[in-house]
Amino acid sequence: MAPEVHHLFNHPIADHSFSADRQTLAVARENNVELYGKTGGKFQLKDELTGHDKLVTGVDIAPRSGKIVTCSQDRNAYVWEPSPEGWKPTLVLLRINRAATCVRWAPSETKFAVGSGARLIPVCYFEEEDNWWVSKHLKKPIRSTITTVSWHPNSVLLAAGSTDGHARVFSSFVKGVDARPEPSVWGERLPFNTVCGEFLNNTAGWVHSVAFSPSGNALAFAAHDSSVTVVYPSAPEQAPRAVLSVSTQLLPFMSLLWSSETEIIAAGYDCEAYRLQGNEQGWQLAGSLESEGRPGIQDQREESALNMFRQMDLKGKTTDDTKLKTVHQNTISTIRSFNESGGTVRKLSSNGVDGRVVVWTI
Amino acid sequence: MAAVNWRTINIDALDPDSPANFDLSTLTPAVAPVSTADVQSLATQIRQLLRGGDNEGALRGALENPPYGADERGKDIHLATVIEILQSIRQSDMSPILSRIYQSEGGTEALDVLMKYVYKGMAQSNAAPPAKHITPQATGFSQIHSRGTGEGGGQAMSVLLSWHEKVVEIAGPGCIVRVMTDRRTV
Repeated sequence: MAPEVHHLFNHPIADHSFSADRQTLAVARENNVELYGKTGGKFQLKDELTGHDKLVTGVDIAPRSGKIVTCSQDRNAYVWEPSPEGWKPTLVLLRINRAATCVRWAPSETKFAVGSGARLIPVCYFEEEDNWWVSKHLKKPIRSTITTVSWHPNSVLLAAGSTDGHARVFSSFVKGVDARPEPSVWGERLPFNTVCGEFLNNTAGWVHSVAFSPSGNALAFAAHDSSVTVVYPSAPEQAPRAVLSVSTQLLPFMSLLWSSETEIIAAGYDCEAYRLQGNEQGWQLAGSLESEGRPGIQDQREESALNMFRQMDLKGKTTDDTKLKTVHQNTISTIRSFNESGGTVRKLSSNGVDGRVVVWTI
Repeated sequence: MAAVNWRTINIDALDPDSPANFDLSTLTPAVAPVSTADVQSLATQIRQLLRGGDNEGALRGALENPPYGADERGKDIHLATVIEILQSIRQSDMSPILSRIYQSEGGTEALDVLMKYVYKGMAQSNAAPPAKHITPQATGFSQIHSRGTGEGGGQAMSVLLSWHEKVVEIAGPGCIVRVMTDRRTV
């Protein structure tokens, strides 16, 4: 099926998020977050969340509560709630002295994690008594900027990728907010800031994206060495069962998404999304998502002779080759699940530096 | 105090948690130290293969044992060995050898190492000749002159450029990105 392309504007999109009903789309554009509503087949600008005074780096809509969390290079995060007078922001006490780089709600929607350049991860939760979002810091042993965070389905374990080349799994258990998690391959007792895993690939390139598999029993991370590494842990405090690294011929991936336990979709600087397939025995690249008919480029039209010579005169060539053959015309920065059924992602959405949001059918 | 421009204060030096205050090598994968003598003996073995006409075996041997843990001298010896192998392989043989290496076990890694040596070789053949006979100039523009006298590296450079082209054909731009990313240098 042809991908749904929404070219919103000619400006980079840092992050995007759809509401649960997929009718509202939030995109981070410069210092603001823009809310688009679906009318007909198109997305129309409906509202704007203004408040940050530097580049917004992350936006996430909680699927059930509808609250929107945003974070920015101005070192702040806001939680936006709908009210009769429009969206009402609440400032979050992050207590960081460097930019916030990414933000994600936990599946429980009672917490969210913010990556930052201050070498720590504020895990934020709502304090009923003070009517205020407060944070606890995951600090050790992070040595550099956190570029990406991703939640385990149990809302306690958090994976984070950093520019120090490590992908780490932490416990973000907050007393009074979280229920005691079931023991898993990552650990049994999980007080706050337990390091459940720390992984590094051979080149130690910095990590752009981390993701837990749907079951939460495997972790994948993409690094700047154009590789994807998949880790299968065995038991707490023990070496993982398998660490599988796929070095690709492509440019680095910026974002990862597990579509099932045996398939990962990765996209990044090559401007298109690729499939990786495998299991504990090994992983390999299994082609591009776009290979089945590229809809972005129309077939070469029959040019009139006049037109051809005019083009040659104007540009010194007959065909216009300033467009990439991919749907996205620049780096893809985030991919997210759009539609799931039976534990498998059926559709995904991507956003890029080219100002497009695209919905793909896998 | 008033004269201190606070914007120029290096705040990282004052912060005990700052990355400026810890050893960055703790972040990188550990590499086993290699003595210069070991590199030397490997070089001799590889030269023997080369003399016996086994170019591919020599190249494979050199790429499978990069001396990441060696000191500068050891690394230079290995670089010289690799360059010698590269120069002794004919242009028409490059692609078949590279695709055979790429398809074998650990082939991606081997071509990444080769790419590191191609880049290191390019950096060297520019810098080496002028170091011998250029007198330092007060103007500090010795860079411009070194271009002209760098002709000695011309032939080595053309060999390296054609290797570069062939490696990218097979291992893709990914291998260039890995050379830039990898903390293990040759």
